[in-house]
Amino acid sequence: MKKTGNGGASDAHDPLQPDGSGPHKDSLPAELENAIAYKENAVIDAETAILSREKLTTAREEAVHLRENASTLREYSVYPREKAVQAREDIAHLRETAVQVAREVDAHGREVAATSRGREIHAAERLQAVSDDHLSMLQEANAHLVIATIEAQKMAEQVQVAKEHLAHLAHHDILTALPNRLLLQDRLGQAIELARRHGRQLSVMFMDLDRFKYINDSLGHAMGDQLLQSVARRLRDCVRRSDTISRQGGDEFMLLLPTIKHAEDVALCAQKMLAALALPHRIGGHDLHISVSIGISIYPRDGQDGETLIKSADTAMYYAKENGRNTYKFFEPAMNARAIQRHSIEDGLRRALERQDFVLHYQPKINLHSGVIVGAEALIRWQHPKRGLVQPGQFVPIAEDSGLILPMGRWMLREACLQARAWLQAGLPPISVAVNISALEFGARDFLKNIRATLEDTGLEPHCLELELTESVLMQDAEPTNTLLKALSELGIKLAIDDFGTGYSSLSYLRQFPIHTLKIDQSFVSRIPGNTDDATLVSAMIHMGKCLKLRVVAKGVETPEQYAFLLAQQCDEGQGYYFGRPMVAEAFAVLLQTGILPTILRI
Amino acid sequence: METSNLVRHTIIQSLIPQSTEKAAGVAIDLWERLAAQINSIVGEGGFNSLYARSLFLAQSTFPWLAAGPSPPQTDQRFTELKMSFEGQTPALALEANCLLLITFTDILASLIGESLTTRILHSAWGDEISNMAGMELKNE
Repeated sequence: MKKTGNGGASDAHDPLQPDGSGPHKDSLPAELENAIAYKENAVIDAETAILSREKLTTAREEAVHLRENASTLREYSVYPREKAVQAREDIAHLRETAVQVAREVDAHGREVAATSRGREIHAAERLQAVSDDHLSMLQEANAHLVIATIEAQKMAEQVQVAKEHLAHLAHHDILTALPNRLLLQDRLGQAIELARRHGRQLSVMFMDLDRFKYINDSLGHAMGDQLLQSVARRLRDCVRRSDTISRQGGDEFMLLLPTIKHAEDVALCAQKMLAALALPHRIGGHDLHISVSIGISIYPRDGQDGETLIKSADTAMYYAKENGRNTYKFFEPAMNARAIQRHSIEDGLRRALERQDFVLHYQPKINLHSGVIVGAEALIRWQHPKRGLVQPGQFVPIAEDSGLILPMGRWMLREACLQARAWLQAGLPPISVAVNISALEFGARDFLKNIRATLEDTGLEPHCLELELTESVLMQDAEPTNTLLKALSELGIKLAIDDFGTGYSSLSYLRQFPIHTLKIDQSFVSRIPGNTDDATLVSAMIHMGKCLKLRVVAKGVETPEQYAFLLAQQCDEGQGYYFGRPMVAEAFAVLLQTGILPTILRI
Repeated sequence: METSNLVRHTIIQSLIPQSTEKAAGVAIDLWERLAAQINSIVGEGGFNSLYARSLFLAQSTFPWLAAGPSPPQTDQRFTELKMSFEGQTPALALEANCLLLITFTDILASLIGESLTTRILHSAWGDEISNMAGMELKNE
């Protein structure tokens, strides 16, 4: 603070001012001392003043301080108030906060709850989606399993069917579906054991179709197969379910009757089968006729085992064939010897063909009105090295069954043509030579070609050759038969129906085919004139033949009465022992030269 | 038709009325409900396979049963079957349907067992089976 009053002391001229150049006090005058005292007083006064001022200042400061304190106090008092307010505010704030928190907590809780439910829903939805997926997959898997199992079942079934089919094939004939040889043998073995145990009889039938080879060869295998199927159906319809009808192969069938009481029952069954086959089979637009020959064996008398029983029935069957076919025969022990002989004949025929052991005999045919020999029928004989001359009846059926008739027939045709040509060249009266043609030859594919070649080779004029065919040969199949007959006729060859009246009952072929001659079977001629019926039949046949412009020849003329009857009926020609037996070529040449004895012709 | 002691067979036989002019409708209704249940387990493909197999087997007894392939549309699945039923007398149609259902469920039972198959039948035809049981109780 700056001093501004009290004595007016000036600081500008104060000698006592403390600096380095002032005099020492002990040496200062009184005035100076007075001045100093004055100044000291002044200083004291000043100091007092200062002190007062300082006190004042202090008071002021204290007042200020008090005021400040008061202010501070006030301030202090304000602060608590403020604090209180603040506290209240804080409380309010806390309350608000609490409320807020509570609200927030509540909201959060709600949010959390909402979120939780959402999660649950979401989880449920996810679970649902997963479940749907799983269900879908399970369905798909199940579907695959079901389909696979069903397919497996189907395949297992197909395998089983195939197995059964194979088993069926192994035991059945493919063509006819009948049991085969194997199954029949098995059933026969069982039936024999049962029959043995119960002391019963059983029967085996061996059946062979008659002349089936001809149908097969002439009409083809397809037709032959259909015929076999038709025959199989008819045979099956004839038997009981407990019986076994089987196809052994080819045209052979067998029947096992596992239980029989009497042999007569078996005969009835055989008759039933013959009757069932008697009706024609309508196949491919053709009416085919086929008969069957049946051999029968009975257990235990004809065999103790299956093999023997079958062999016995087979033997009896051949016996039935030799006895006219279309019939049945029971086995007899004597047949065994015959069967052995049959096999012997077949072997001998083969050797005879190789060695040319056959010979032709010729039987004259005469014009009944003029008595002139107009022709000769060539008849085969077997010059057996040990047994001598064997008649055709003893070997021709065997040759037909074995197929040996084919080479035999060709040899015969050639020999006959050569002989006829030789007689002509020898200057003998011209005649025609007749040769019998079997169905097998007629059905052969090269039949016509062979005829042409034979005529060409031998140099015989076709009109000098006559082919004799049976009705059963002609009935095989109309269209190809007609074509072949026309071709033969156009060549100039004469065609004759042999054994007329004993075969096929249809007469339509007489106008259909280019036939030249009818040869009335000797079975009719042999009973004339005594048997009125036969006489009537012969008369009718002659009349019919003449009306159809056919030459009629009576076979088997053996008596003058027969000759007279035929002459009276205007029959053209005759053939038989009465005019001449079959004879060797040399003897026939002599007969041709001399002619038939007039005494024979004189009635 | 052969009789059987199986509950399943008895159920089927009990659901087939003796004679009704609406035989085809009754039969198809049973099939529709059965198909719904089976589909949920083995799917369309599984059902179609079972159904086709059953038809094939039943045709050996009733050759006139629908032989054509199932149409792709689910709602027309039994059109062929219905037509073949309608072509027969009601009695014959019902007899064939009984055989077809038994054949179907026989196959199903061979795949999934007798118990589960019977449960499925209850699910499919529950009402009818209950009604039948009720009628039987009344009759007793």
